[in-house]
Amino acid sequence: MTNYFSKVSSKDIDYLEKLCGSNNVSTDEEDLVTNAIDAQLGGFHKPEVVVWPETSEQVVEILKYADEKKIPVYPRGGGTGLTGTVPVHRGIVVNMKKMNKIVEIDEENMQVRVQPGVVYDALNKELERYGLFFPPDPSSGAACTIGGMAASNASGLKAVKYGTTREYVLGFEAAFPRDGLQRLGTKTFKYSLGFDVVKMLIGSQGTLAIFTEINLRLRPLPESMETSAAFFSSISDATKAIYKIIRQGLDVAALEFMDKPTMGAVSEFKKIEFPNAEAMLLIETHGSKKAAYEEMERCISVVKENGGFEIWHASSKEDRERLWSARKGAYPSVLKLGRFTLISDVIIPLSRLVEAVEKAYSIGKKYGLRTSCIGHFGDGNLHVNWGTGDNGEKIESLHRANDELNRWVISIGGAVSGEHGIGTEKKSYMRLQHGESYNLMIKIKRLLDPNYILSPGIAFDLDDLLNKSG
Amino acid sequence: MFRQRTLDKVLNDYLYDVLKCVRCGFCNSVCPTSNISLSYRDSRTSRGRIVLLQAKHSSVLNLSIESNAIQELMDLCFGCRRCLEVCPAGVRIPQLIWRVKSSGPLRLNKFFYTYYGTFEKLGAMIPTLSNLLVKSNFGRTLLEQILDIDRNAPFPSFYGDSLEKYIKKHSSSNGDRGRLALFIDVFTNYHDVELGIRTVNLLQRLGYRVEAPPQMEAGTLALEFGALKRAVKIARFNIDSMYEFIKNDGKVITISPAAYVALKIDYPELLGDEKSRIVAENTIDIVDILLNEYDDGRIRFKGPVENAVYHHSCFTKAARLTTSVKRLLELAGYKLTEFEECCGIAGIWGLIKKHHEASREIGNKLFTKIEHAQMPVFSQSETCRLQLKHYTNSRIMHPLEGVMDRILL
Ligand SMILES: Cc1cc2nc3c(=O)[nH]c(=O)nc-3n(C[C@H](O)[C@H](O)[C@H](O)COP(=O)(O)OP(=O)(O)OC[C@H]3O[C@@H](n4cnc5c(N)ncnc54)[C@H](O)[C@@H]3O)c2cc1C
Ligand code: SF4
Ligand code: SF4
Repeated sequence: MTNYFSKVSSKDIDYLEKLCGSNNVSTDEEDLVTNAIDAQLGGFHKPEVVVWPETSEQVVEILKYADEKKIPVYPRGGGTGLTGTVPVHRGIVVNMKKMNKIVEIDEENMQVRVQPGVVYDALNKELERYGLFFPPDPSSGAACTIGGMAASNASGLKAVKYGTTREYVLGFEAAFPRDGLQRLGTKTFKYSLGFDVVKMLIGSQGTLAIFTEINLRLRPLPESMETSAAFFSSISDATKAIYKIIRQGLDVAALEFMDKPTMGAVSEFKKIEFPNAEAMLLIETHGSKKAAYEEMERCISVVKENGGFEIWHASSKEDRERLWSARKGAYPSVLKLGRFTLISDVIIPLSRLVEAVEKAYSIGKKYGLRTSCIGHFGDGNLHVNWGTGDNGEKIESLHRANDELNRWVISIGGAVSGEHGIGTEKKSYMRLQHGESYNLMIKIKRLLDPNYILSPGIAFDLDDLLNKSG
Repeated sequence: MFRQRTLDKVLNDYLYDVLKCVRCGFCNSVCPTSNISLSYRDSRTSRGRIVLLQAKHSSVLNLSIESNAIQELMDLCFGCRRCLEVCPAGVRIPQLIWRVKSSGPLRLNKFFYTYYGTFEKLGAMIPTLSNLLVKSNFGRTLLEQILDIDRNAPFPSFYGDSLEKYIKKHSSSNGDRGRLALFIDVFTNYHDVELGIRTVNLLQRLGYRVEAPPQMEAGTLALEFGALKRAVKIARFNIDSMYEFIKNDGKVITISPAAYVALKIDYPELLGDEKSRIVAENTIDIVDILLNEYDDGRIRFKGPVENAVYHHSCFTKAARLTTSVKRLLELAGYKLTEFEECCGIAGIWGLIKKHHEASREIGNKLFTKIEHAQMPVFSQSETCRLQLKHYTNSRIMHPLEGVMDRILL
């Protein structure tokens, strides 16, 4: 399918320069290369040109032009994606970095309207002044953008209480290849007025539209929080405690799991001494002072009933930060063990979590990989970190192990991505994951982007799209 | 035609750092030069620089690392080391960038900055003439033409005598509390000499014998300009000299955080030997000396409670001296408001014509906050103080200047 798309010509560059200004268009090697890769363990795919639009109208015109000329267009936010959302068919990267303004903070209605290039942490820093926050909290918050989060339905450490990005996007202003600029959604938290196109666009990874503005619902910052770490001598004890906490409807804000190998890595790099345990749970409760405290008390008694043999409680802000630094330092610490690390993002029915961790270990052993597990276990999201240390020759086995786990997860009713998305990495699972209903997604894609210019090769295989029988 | 050096050769051990970068972009979030108007392009950010080197290693980048395009991008790293605090993979970012810069072409201004210690010494020998030069339009034009120093950038005046000479003349105290070698660095030696003299006098009153063993500049600029051989030479000289001093039961003391970082972090890394490790272990900043004196009950502080700003200079952060500096100021009676933003000068980087506007843009947020605060400002770094004095109307001081008059012996 190499000839399906047109190459970018000097006439196209002239057009883009006229539209966006020559400072905002580059074919310089250094700009092509730095827009050719994300945070996935993958290769470089250089686009032919990079554009930094400053207005929604420019985005619309770029899409219209690219559609006419059949040139691929890849939107890009912070470039922290973990699934290889890179210009595999070359064409234009539309980098949203210049559209990074907070347009309006509506304090009374607890909402904010932002351009897509606003960085997550920067937004929350600004919102703090109003006692509000946008909760999804991905670990990449220092660098990922709201546009990228909406396109990936990102979430993080506190999803068990606050949910994912999807729960917070009330509306978009979005540019479509054939349908121009559309305002979608309302300022209300619910409505019953036909299809929810807003929700459909979340997680679309730049394949249906480019978001030019995003309207987010916010939450008040919690008045108080309690944080504890609990240690278990078996993974099954830890997962039993998780299950009971969820089953009893206890209101936890975080329920994070770390296994022994991860604790080992954290201990080495963060210099934190853990007890000799097979698993650690980090538990946090939010609410009024009384509510957060009482809810934590209940969690702790469940933990104790289920074999939690040691409990650390954070009695100060510094203590809390230290406990979180252990959890947040988990992925970085694993990375320090060696540069070839692949992270899986499977999500599993709660009742199968122990089995999933054991499965990961046995697959890891089979391929001779260093295997460690962390997870947002409150919602069943397991990240297995597969590593070969610094042995680049074994990279293939990382992918094979991950593939084996992914297929098993689908077979037990789980999903291959809880929060990172599909990208180039997981598109081969789409049919397996969704069965016949995958064809519905293809139909929607064809309807909104009939020339497949938006992010070709991402989430969908171009061959699948071109194969009209699909 | 001169042969291009391969990335592996240029980087040596640091190639591994490039490869282990996971491209998370956390470094961008704290990097002062990655958050200004020009950094909308990823290539002009901290992560972008590492990605370019990864691409070179994978033979994807069609530019040589010696090329102007790449060298200009590397020049946007001014070595503040803020990124080191957040990089999850432990990539030694500024250190590896120095190595890439070392493959760049040699230019007159680079030569000057690399040997700035020598030129500063010459300048200090003829202070009247030097000051005339740095203050006159003609002199500034000349500096701009030859050395690329922007004519509007702040530039320090020469004091006249050097601190080194002062110490040699006045090191008469018997020093029953011990011997201290002051590792001075250029700015305190030739420009901020008064601060140096007051510090030496204070230490002598505390019963120390203060000396100035033979020493060169700290060499920060040599590193920044990628003159690694020169940096190693400077490190060798300073370490050998300080080691001799320490051997006879002495300690090395610093006033400038750049001097402290050189002895504690850079020299051991450049030389990798036992001597530099021992010198690092025996180096202490004046702030910690005063805190030790306080903890041992030898000094007390007396002064009115006063509001003040504490500016976190990049090198104080890198030196991990922040907690000490804050504690000292608080003991002396200051109620601190903290500003973490970078002032944008980064040694000499902000003075250079091509960076001058960016330097100002980086510092703008801090300048505005300082103007609004309307309080005296403490900053440990000498060049930060130069920049803040230039761009704000507030009183800008080294922490010692606010503390010394409040010490009761
Ligand atoms: C260290 C690290 C930790 C991470 N932790 C988490 C985590 O805890 N939870 C989590 O969910 N993810 C995590 N991620 C993955 C990643 O950060 C998220 O997927 C994030 O949402 C990507 O945002 P971005 O701005 O970097 O998007 P990019 O990587 O630039 O793009 C991601 C996708 O969004 C599309 N896109 C970007 N902007 C727009 C737009 N304006 N309109 C339409 N499409 C757009 C792109 O085309 C691409 O398909 C982590 C990544 C790293 C490196
Ligand atoms: S040393 Fe400073 S300027 Fe250089 S990359 Fe790190 S943060 Fe940026
Ligand atoms: S913080 Fe470290 S790992 Fe992340 S992009 Fe920067 S250098 Fe790479």
